[in-house]
Amino acid sequence: MAGQSLPKPIRCKAAVCRASGEPLVVEEIVVDPPRAYEVRIKIVCTSLCHTDITVWRSNVASKFPRIIGHEAFGVVESVGEHVSGFVTGDAVVPTFLGQCDACRSCRSSSPERTTNMCTTLPLSDSLGMRRDGTVRFRDLQGNPLNHCVGVSSFSQYTVVDVNQLVKLGDGVPPKMACLLGCGASTGVGAAWRLAKVEPGSSVAIFGLGTVGLAAVQGAKMCGASKIIGVDLNPDKEEVGKSILLSISSTIYLVASRPPKRQRKGMGVTDFINPSQLGETPVSEVIGAMTGGGVDYSFECIGVPSVMADAFRSTKMGTGMTIILGFNENNEPVALPSLELLHGKRVMGAFFGGIKPKTDIPILAKKCVNNELELERLVTHEVGLQDINTAFDLLLQKKSLRCIIWMVK
Amino acid sequence: MMPGHLPLLCLGWCTVLELATSASLHYTIDAERAPTDAQHIARSSSNINRGSDFSDFQRVFFPAAMEQNTPRPIRCKAAVSKAPGQSLEMEEVEVAPPRAHEVRIKVICTSLCHTDLTVWRMKDFPATYPSILGHEAVGVVESVGDHVSEVSVGDTVVPVFLAQCGDCGDCLSRRSNICSNLPPRMTTGMPRDGTTRFSLAATGEPVHNFLSVSSFAEYTVVDVAHVVKVGKHVPPAMACLLSCGVSTGVGAAWKVAAVEAGSTVAVFGLGTVGLAVAQGAKMCGAKRIIGVDLNPDKFEIGKRLGVTDFVNPNDTAEKPVSEVIKEMTGGGADYCFECIGSAPAMAEAFRSSRTGWGKTVILGTDGKAEPVSISSTEIKRGRSVHGALLGGIKPKDDIPVLAQKYLDKELQLDEFVTHETGFDEINGAFELLEQGKCLRCIIWMDGAKAKESSA
Repeated sequence: MAGQSLPKPIRCKAAVCRASGEPLVVEEIVVDPPRAYEVRIKIVCTSLCHTDITVWRSNVASKFPRIIGHEAFGVVESVGEHVSGFVTGDAVVPTFLGQCDACRSCRSSSPERTTNMCTTLPLSDSLGMRRDGTVRFRDLQGNPLNHCVGVSSFSQYTVVDVNQLVKLGDGVPPKMACLLGCGASTGVGAAWRLAKVEPGSSVAIFGLGTVGLAAVQGAKMCGASKIIGVDLNPDKEEVGKSILLSISSTIYLVASRPPKRQRKGMGVTDFINPSQLGETPVSEVIGAMTGGGVDYSFECIGVPSVMADAFRSTKMGTGMTIILGFNENNEPVALPSLELLHGKRVMGAFFGGIKPKTDIPILAKKCVNNELELERLVTHEVGLQDINTAFDLLLQKKSLRCIIWMVK
Repeated sequence: MMPGHLPLLCLGWCTVLELATSASLHYTIDAERAPTDAQHIARSSSNINRGSDFSDFQRVFFPAAMEQNTPRPIRCKAAVSKAPGQSLEMEEVEVAPPRAHEVRIKVICTSLCHTDLTVWRMKDFPATYPSILGHEAVGVVESVGDHVSEVSVGDTVVPVFLAQCGDCGDCLSRRSNICSNLPPRMTTGMPRDGTTRFSLAATGEPVHNFLSVSSFAEYTVVDVAHVVKVGKHVPPAMACLLSCGVSTGVGAAWKVAAVEAGSTVAVFGLGTVGLAVAQGAKMCGAKRIIGVDLNPDKFEIGKRLGVTDFVNPNDTAEKPVSEVIKEMTGGGADYCFECIGSAPAMAEAFRSSRTGWGKTVILGTDGKAEPVSISSTEIKRGRSVHGALLGGIKPKDDIPVLAQKYLDKELQLDEFVTHETGFDEINGAFELLEQGKCLRCIIWMDGAKAKESSA
């Protein structure tokens, strides 16, 4: 801990969400020092996750103005009181889900009871810091700017609770680390930690966005022999299977390609576009392809009727469906009870069931070792001033992950 | 040499070889048996409640149908369902001999499960008319068809609606009990060829079977994959219970949920299945077993079977049961079981489970396959929903294990038999269940109960 003067407020740039669904305004803000159990981070890069779109479109006016964004990579700038394990300069990933390692959920270790739903700072759409509810951001007029899930990464500096911060070793590429902050970990984690896909299994993944494709990679890493990708967008077939991601437009060319490595597909072995099936339900097609249904299915969109399709696509006796997609209206999913009775299971999770501090470093290592090939999920890159381009690309379904570099 | 060719004049045939060694309850038997041995059957000396073991039944002669070597059709009584919701009618039926992979069983006793009641009331599929219902029973093998080596004439067996072929990927997997060779179905007919073995003796009109068992008849024919051999020292009424309802409940706690010691459990519906869940949870060491039922009488018997707390949805002052349970448990139960077959109850059971690891197990069916409505966000908080048939157990492997647990007093099953009656009074059993006045009413086939009590 520095014996010098205490951290001071920092003036920096941020993309402020001033009204629902409006383009973000890049402006100067002030970021207060970290309080007890808090860490102030300099964000290196961040990316746009579909859940940010959901938050951005919220029709609750009182939530704005707000700094959103929750998928990022950064470096510790200063720490507050009672923070151990982090020092200035550490490479870190902030996460929307906390891990305290002390509550009953964090300590649960039996295979049946493992959960990442830490109860110390439970997941919520809070507007301030988690422990005291106050904010650390102000605009230049002195008005408070709300936080988002305790991360708020669309800012060159942010303040995060120590429970929501993951330390990474050196050598993890920033873009990779950034994706592990949400989407990539959710997908891989769901196959790896939640479903525990066994070698030789058959898997169906509904929705080949970032989370779905990460689940494809996760299933492949676990040795699944059949990975059926389901998406309404026919372009996703090539994305899922091919060795080269089709890039519609790139703002910044990727400066350094990874050194020569074997080009393999993302992992999809079969592709289904439900809009081309006519009257036949997708679950019936999958049943025919797999002798009764897949062992595991994953819903990665957040649409209840698709969750039901994913459920119906699993086989009797052993089928398991994992729900990852987030439905902001909390709509119900209708599960046919007779199919449930025939030995099927459904479970859901946030963050693919991973415990952030425990599992993100493991996943980072798998990326560095090429057990996971997630760089294909980065399709675009922009600077902070062009952050709204990232929104446009995602809304037009032209991107997977667009990295936003915080150039100072 | 096929057991079916052997003359059967005396039940002394039906040997009880392992009375003393109750541990060896499995379904393969040695095939070497001299056809003319008339072995003396020792009476079991174990302290079995509800009367004696099967040795008394073995003094009953089989009908003269067996005077030749090939099994012939048997004429006997059956309780036939002829119209939705109407009293069963006693008819003389002809029961064809067992074909390949089939076993003809002389039913000792049977009981009424709510699923029989549900289908009995239905006009359309899966109900068919005329049919012989009943799928919970125990009996003695009377004859076997070709390719049956797993059981022999005289063995005590429990027929089960769920098959275990032992060969397919599901049967070989630890995780599944849904045999894929002979998958469960609600359609009638024998599992391999879809035909029935029953016809009305007077007219020859075929009578449909039910769930591959049809136990409301003095004799029935069951596929060997649906037959579980049990030891002769298991009291018949207890073996009968394990044929469906009790195994479903105990299995759900033991296998599907794998309830850990110290857990909190909520059981929706305290009928036979629900109370069996309570027993299973207690056997697994659950600390708290909350029973939910509209009938306050269920608490007394529930307490005897392991229920520690009782919630009556009529007495919660408009508060949803899930709210009450969450308050009682500080956030929700570790495991919730739905044992009624009501879609709204299934949803309420789900809402009663805790975040992080709350598991909801669905056991009930309403026959109409109503969808269960689950919050897409609440399930993401670490919850899961599982369903199972027969409590996730593999019948041939696990029913004998449960029978042994009963004998070892790890499971308390006597309480489930609340009534007994003779076959002629079977409609009385329907009335009792309809009125919610019984758990299991054991229906003794003619003579069986009398023989037992006179022993």
